[in-house]
Amino acid sequence: MSDQTPVDFDAYWQQTLDDLAHYPVCPEIDMLPLRSTAFATLYGVRLTSLGPYRVFGYLSIPTGTGPFPAIYYPPKYQSVLEIIGQGSTNLQRSRYITFALAGRGQRHADTPYAAMFPGLLTEGIDSAASYIFRGIVADSVRGLNFLLTRRELDAARVVVMGNDMACITAALSAGVTHVVTAPALFYNTAELAPRTQVYPLEEINDYLRMFPARAEAVRHTLAYYDLRAFAPRVTATTLLMAGAPGTLLDGPALAPLVTALQGQVTVYDSAQSNYKDGLYVEQWMAAQCGITDVQSILPEHWRS
Amino acid sequence: MSQVVPVDYQSKVHKPDDFDAFWDDVLRQVAAIPLQAEVVPDRLRTSEDVEVFQVFYTSLEHVRIAAWYCRPARRAARTPAILLLPGYQADPPIPKEWARKGYIALSVAPRGKLRSARQFNPGYPNLLTYNIVDRHTYAYRGFYVDTWRGMDFLLSRPEVEPGRIGVTGSSQGGGLTITTAAMRSEVRAAAAGAPYLCGFMDAIALTHTYPYEEINDYLRLHPESRPRVEETVAYFDGINFADQISCPIIVNIGLQDNVCPPETGYALFNKIGATDKQLYTYDGHGHDAGRAQHSAIVDRFLAHHLLAEG
Repeated sequence: MSDQTPVDFDAYWQQTLDDLAHYPVCPEIDMLPLRSTAFATLYGVRLTSLGPYRVFGYLSIPTGTGPFPAIYYPPKYQSVLEIIGQGSTNLQRSRYITFALAGRGQRHADTPYAAMFPGLLTEGIDSAASYIFRGIVADSVRGLNFLLTRRELDAARVVVMGNDMACITAALSAGVTHVVTAPALFYNTAELAPRTQVYPLEEINDYLRMFPARAEAVRHTLAYYDLRAFAPRVTATTLLMAGAPGTLLDGPALAPLVTALQGQVTVYDSAQSNYKDGLYVEQWMAAQCGITDVQSILPEHWRS
Repeated sequence: MSQVVPVDYQSKVHKPDDFDAFWDDVLRQVAAIPLQAEVVPDRLRTSEDVEVFQVFYTSLEHVRIAAWYCRPARRAARTPAILLLPGYQADPPIPKEWARKGYIALSVAPRGKLRSARQFNPGYPNLLTYNIVDRHTYAYRGFYVDTWRGMDFLLSRPEVEPGRIGVTGSSQGGGLTITTAAMRSEVRAAAAGAPYLCGFMDAIALTHTYPYEEINDYLRLHPESRPRVEETVAYFDGINFADQISCPIIVNIGLQDNVCPPETGYALFNKIGATDKQLYTYDGHGHDAGRAQHSAIVDRFLAHHLLAEG
């Protein structure tokens, strides 16, 4: 853990998980014919999370007999929920179970709370107990735990792919075998935000400009979410997507995180190309999951 | 290395005979609707160097549209402006960085986007196929107009230099840049990246990624609707707007773009009517379309035409 880690970090998250466990999952699963194909069936899934709060996800199950590897997409930092990540071909769903979750505030999970973007990052940030991301992390854990109950799933091949939420979810849940994480929100945030004017971190700057007296409270809350504090709990094999050299979250900046992660770690430095970066991730996941014909599920313009 | 993209790719889209009449009718309808602009200061987002406002105005079918409006704290009485148009699933950004470059900037959230979804909200995925069998109610009919109304808002502002308004965006924002530059003669310069909404029916055969995959989903469930779908999207295809563009324009595409196929980028560029046009192609790049390198080119291009630099 980092020197900044609160002494009650473990207790804070254990209490969150305990509070979450108080609510039964109560899944509702509806097939969505419009997005189902010959090679995969799509379902809309509703689950109860901390609050209680009802969240939503898109679950895709490949046609055929499993077990199948799975990709879990925890809540992104945007209002829209995608079925799979933009840029991945729909054929990804022929080989992987995919489950994409909308955390509270995102579309399909925006009643009664509708998040603003920008705005979500500082919602309730002056109190660790009421910070919106405590609920969103719980949502993400709940989504993963739901996915792990699927009988079609191969428990030896479970990838969590996303921003900071991928790393945090893997730290707080058993059953994750692989992580693809691109830190953006919760790595050394209190120190890095003043060094940029780019959203989403600019939200922190906006907030502290308006409420300078709350700076210490914000710093205190962010310490519960810092990836360096979660990293010692992450034992999954990890692909860490670093920013391009010279950017705020490049490989050297993330070095302490690499050291703290407990599983095998590969660091990929962004080439600032969706093609090169995306191709690397698709090939890495396929190799880790034993998919030998990755060419067949790559986008047409990426194939050799 | 990936496949070679034909630079002379021919789109299958045909321009309907009544294309201009269709849009003239739409413009007549919206012209009768007052803009009713509200400009609300946003103290939380305002900083020493940039003033930020939330803007609301009325568009087609009386739908209220939200936008972010930024202006340099220190500026001339009349300042050049940029209209920023959003990606398909992106939440429209607060364009502070454009204000820091010396522009007044308006970042529009067309109907269905966050903050503009109270009266119209088909959702994502779904926007692309919402009423796609009827050009008179298709989602993008109002969506396009919402962006053009952004020009009306800028032109209504006394602090905006009306002869120096540019438009830019990437992906859906690139497609909307094309349609806006075509339909609004006040646009002085345009920069379109990885343009979406160009070659709809070509794209659904060339790629199987979302959002274009929404149309394949729709046609798989409703195969009998293909002729109606083709008929509708022809009225909204950026390639059919392109010959009306007369302002200086640059377009950038990634040759490994798996979201908006580069073939459609070539087809679009070849149809652009402006004589002052340039295409930048980025090999080794996907839907980013070389943004990390190209953003400096966009900055120079817009500064040259709008800030009278270079």
